[in-house]
Order: sequence, then C-alpha cells, then structure tokens
Amino acid sequence: MNSALSKPLEARVMLAVEKHLAVQQQLFYEARILDEERFDEWLSLLTDDIRYRMPVTERRFRKDRSAPLAFGGGYIFDENKVRLGMRIGRLQSGLVWAEDPRNMVRRMINNIEIWQGAEANEAEVYSVVTIHRSRIDGEEKQFVAGRRDIWRETDQGWRLSVREMLLDTAVVLDSNMNTLF
Amino acid sequence: MMKPSELIDQSTGAQRRKIYSDQGIYEQELERIFGRCWLFLAHESQIPKPGDFFRTYMGEDDVLVIRQDDMSIKAFINSCTHRGNRLVRADRGNARAFACNYHGWAFGLDGSLANVPLEREVYFNEIDKNQFRLVPVDRLSSYKGLIFGCFDKDAPSLEEYLGDMRWYLDAALDAFPDGTELIGATQKVILHTNWKLPVENVCGDGYHLGWSHAGAMKATQSGDLSGFTVGNTGVDLEGGMSVAGLNGNSVLASLDGVSGYAFYPDPALALKYLNENRTKVVARLGKFRGEQIWGSQLNMTVFPSLQFLPGLNWFRVYHPKGPGKIEMWTWAIVEKNMPDELKQQILDNVLLTFGPAGLFDNDDGDNLASCTSQSRGWRTGQMPVYTNMAIGRSGKRVGLPGDIASGIVSEHNQRYFYRRWQEHMEAKTWSEVPQYNLNSLETKDEQRTVQTA
Ligand code: FES
Ligand SMILES: [Fe+2]
Repeated sequence: MNSALSKPLEARVMLAVEKHLAVQQQLFYEARILDEERFDEWLSLLTDDIRYRMPVTERRFRKDRSAPLAFGGGYIFDENKVRLGMRIGRLQSGLVWAEDPRNMVRRMINNIEIWQGAEANEAEVYSVVTIHRSRIDGEEKQFVAGRRDIWRETDQGWRLSVREMLLDTAVVLDSNMNTLF
Repeated sequence: MMKPSELIDQSTGAQRRKIYSDQGIYEQELERIFGRCWLFLAHESQIPKPGDFFRTYMGEDDVLVIRQDDMSIKAFINSCTHRGNRLVRADRGNARAFACNYHGWAFGLDGSLANVPLEREVYFNEIDKNQFRLVPVDRLSSYKGLIFGCFDKDAPSLEEYLGDMRWYLDAALDAFPDGTELIGATQKVILHTNWKLPVENVCGDGYHLGWSHAGAMKATQSGDLSGFTVGNTGVDLEGGMSVAGLNGNSVLASLDGVSGYAFYPDPALALKYLNENRTKVVARLGKFRGEQIWGSQLNMTVFPSLQFLPGLNWFRVYHPKGPGKIEMWTWAIVEKNMPDELKQQILDNVLLTFGPAGLFDNDDGDNLASCTSQSRGWRTGQMPVYTNMAIGRSGKRVGLPGDIASGIVSEHNQRYFYRRWQEHMEAKTWSEVPQYNLNSLETKDEQRTVQTA
C-alpha cells in the first residue's frame, strides 16, 4: 500500500498550496457528508472508474513460508461504482432495520499526506480514518483503517478514483461493517 | 440450575431464554457439546503442503492443525506444555517447528518437544522430553476433505455421527471426484450473541429471509428462490423442504437446481457451469440429487456449529466465547474443478453478501445480539421463546432420508436442533446419547418410523 512512499523523499512532489488545500478540504467534506448520510452526494464525488478496495487482514508470521492463497485473501470491499450504488441502494431502501433508528457515525481523518500523483491531474493521498459509531444502547464501536487514495482533478473539482483501505484488525469487533470508510 | 428437561419443551417448540445467557448452562455446553461432539477444524485444502498449519478452536480450546511430512494430518492443543503459553499466534502459515515465545521450548510438526533451551545447564539433562509433547486432540477424522476433531474417546465414528446427513452432504462435497476446497482468508467477526442463535437461524429459519434481508435481497437478487418474495408477502411451500432427524444434523433445501445463485448480481457464469456439468453430476449422484439438490439454495448444518450454504457458497464455523459472545469464521467453498474465473466470482460474492461488510450478514448481527440480551433480564430470563411453526406437519418422503417438512419457511429444523442440544445436555456420557436417522435409506420401507419432535 505504499507505492508513492516507496519513492525516495526527494523524488516526491507536493501539490501547489491551493491544490493541496483543496484536496484536504475535500477529504473533510467527504467525511462529513458520509456522517450525514448524504449518500447520493457522496456517489457524485466518485469518478465512474472508481476502485474501492479493502482486503481481509490475516495474522501471519513475518517469516511465513507458505505459498500465497490461490485467489488471494478476498476483499471485504472490492467495489466499483455499480456495487457502491447497490450498497447505497440497500441503505436507502427503507428496509434495513439495523439502521433504524439511525446509527450515529463520526469519521475522523488524520495523518494526511498529499503528493503529486502519477498523472498531472492526480493527487496521491495517504490518511488514517477512525470511524466512531454509536449503535444500540450504550454501544460504541470504532474502526481504524489506513487509506491510500487517488484523487483526480476534473472540471467539477476533485473526484475520488481509487481508495485502498487496510483495516487494522484481523477480527472485526463489531457485528457489521455497514459503513463506508 | 434448571435441568435440561425443563429448558426445552419439544411438544410446544418452546425454549427457556436462560439457555442463551446462563453461565452454568454454558459451562455444561463446553463439557457435553463442544467437549463431546465432532467439531470442524479445517479443510484439507487449507493445509496442502508439509509444514502447513492452521489455528482454530474447539469450544474455547485453541487448536493447531498441522500437515505432516508424510502428508498425514495431526492436531494438537495450541498450548505450550511448560507454562501453558499459547504456542502459535499466527492464523495460518508454514513452518518447520514452533518455538514458544515465553522460554523458547520448540516443538516439531509432530508435536514432539524438540528443543529445551539450557537443557543441560538448568535441567541437568534430566527432563523427559517425551512427557512434554504437545497434547493431541483425542480423535481426528476427515469426511470428503473436511477435517473434524473430537475430545471424547467414546464418541461414535465421524461417519456414524454424520449419519444419513452424508447423503445430503455428498451433493455438495462429492458432486465430482475432485471434491471441494475452501478459498480466501478467514473472515473473523465478533458477534455478541449466544452461539445457538446463529446456528438456529441458518439451520432452519427461512422465515427471516424475506423480512430481515428485504433490503439486501432487493439490492442483489437476480433470480427466484422457491417463489419467495421480498417483505414476507408470499411463499411456495412446494418449492423446498426442511430435512432433520439426522442425529441433530439438518438441511434446508430449495429444489430447483439453480437458486443457489439467485443472489448473484450476475449469475451467468455460474448457470453456465451448472448447465455444462448437470449430466455428469446426475450420473454420479442420481436424478434427484443431481437435478434438484445440486445447484439449489441449500443450508447444511452439522451439529453443533458447522454450517455452509452451497450456492451462496459460504462456509462457516462459530466459536463460543462465553454465553453471550462468539467468533464467527467464514470462507468461500468451491468445487475444485470450477473454472478459476467462477471461483474468483464466488469469493467476491461471498464477501459482498456474507463477509464482514456483507449485505446479508449486516442484517443478522443485531437481531442475534438482541435476542441474546433479551434473555439476560430478571424477567426475560424466565420467559420462553418459540419455534412452534407447523408442528406435527412433517413426515416421510419416498427415497429421501430424514423427517421432512415442506418448504424452507418452517421451524422444523430448529426444533430438531434444540432436541439434539437437550439430548446431549441430559446425557452424562456418549452412550446415553440416542442415535437416530429417521427414514433411513438403509432401512426397509415398512420399518421406517416418522417421529415428530
Ligand atoms: S511457557 Fe512455553 S516455554 Fe515456557
Ligand atoms: Fe440471515
């Protein structure tokens, strides 16, 4: 997950200050509209070719000698725009009883790094997201994930085209991950 | 503590809610159910090479399953014989030996104590290393690729334990000579539920599908399931069956041969595979299983805690962590000779529907947790809950093992699950646990009896 970071520091290029701020602002804005369940607006922040992926995490020895899994570990999220639309369609169907009454969700975005991406109009963005959810009586749960994004500058502004997420737990501690990172 | 005979009333389908929250009952379950039954450990395909290991649980005991150099399989309690530290902390991998983190004792793949640091200096070479081998799981046996372990020397063989359930299991595990494999990483989720609630949900509860999962069904469904409709507004009882009375094991089956793939947004590849292989499977399994079971939406349950759904293709085991908590582990199960493209699609779809962020699983977790918490109160603890749907309406179907109720919306299988639970909880030893395979194909027709719980 550290393709840009594998470059030596001096080879990395920062964005111009205004662009840097615009991308950073976009991250916070995105977090807020998700907290506010403005899912259609969130969908419109994604490029049509969005890749949205989170692999299953496993605990392995550092010196593990076993062959990699034939089909990979699998992805908790491996979504394109159609599948994200399907998830949002479910949430908006009015038939998801676990979301009614609504869960209170707050996303915190930290450790933001913004670098010039591979294409001139792209930014490569690293961040850490903490999702705090208050569900059912007195139950508060937290997910922490590292993210690597590609944001693309378009006529409409900055749009998300890649999000790779790594969840920091091998055992998911909440009964569902019915949320977007 | 109430006696098991007072906790389940088979004539009314009632259970005392205490069975979901009482610590004493839970401890007795660890002894009489998890300490006695054959429990799923791993699939042979997960440890293909010498030195491959897989870490799992039997009840609350940590267990290590290891492929040996001669390709046989051994299983041990994953606990160092010195001071009891957990030996291996990785989920799986490959190793030549396992060194304990605490003082460095090292064990071989075969469980032997291979090395003790400072053996000469501090043990004066007097330690009998043979005495400190890893403790093996008492019994180990495989059925068509599935490795099971058992702590009870007196348990019947795995074949007897599965009983006539094998006839149904084979439609999923033995449709082809190459059998099946599990793919993907282990998806682990903590649920705050008693372990029996997810088992009863999957073993027989077709009732919740159309309601609990209405939103998910609307989003993913591409085909019909037994004339089933979103929102629980209609159901066709002729389209499926609930099969139980097989030593506590059970099947829920739709009977159309294709609906396993009804919850794939695009089932074209899977349907093509079913089409191309149907004749071969019919030749191997016979007409009924080949045409009406293979490819159908099926819920298979091996008592107490292994469940898998051929078609949707998830494969799952529940590990209890106290009366109100479990770890739920899920993989994708595929037939080995499926094309790679289809296997990949199945793994993707399992995660879309039943992974940690699965559209269906996300509906069930809170219901199971709430059924558990609603058994903890002073008043709720005394109250019953019911699985009383269609009592007395099951019977025999010619040519099929088990006591069978019509349709996949029934509480027939749940009643047999709780009946088995009660039989184990009442029995002090295996010899007191009744064995029954109702309407066995091995029995002559006139000897068959239909018992309703
Ligand atoms: S506890 Fe394992 S070496 Fe001492
Ligand atoms: Fe369900």
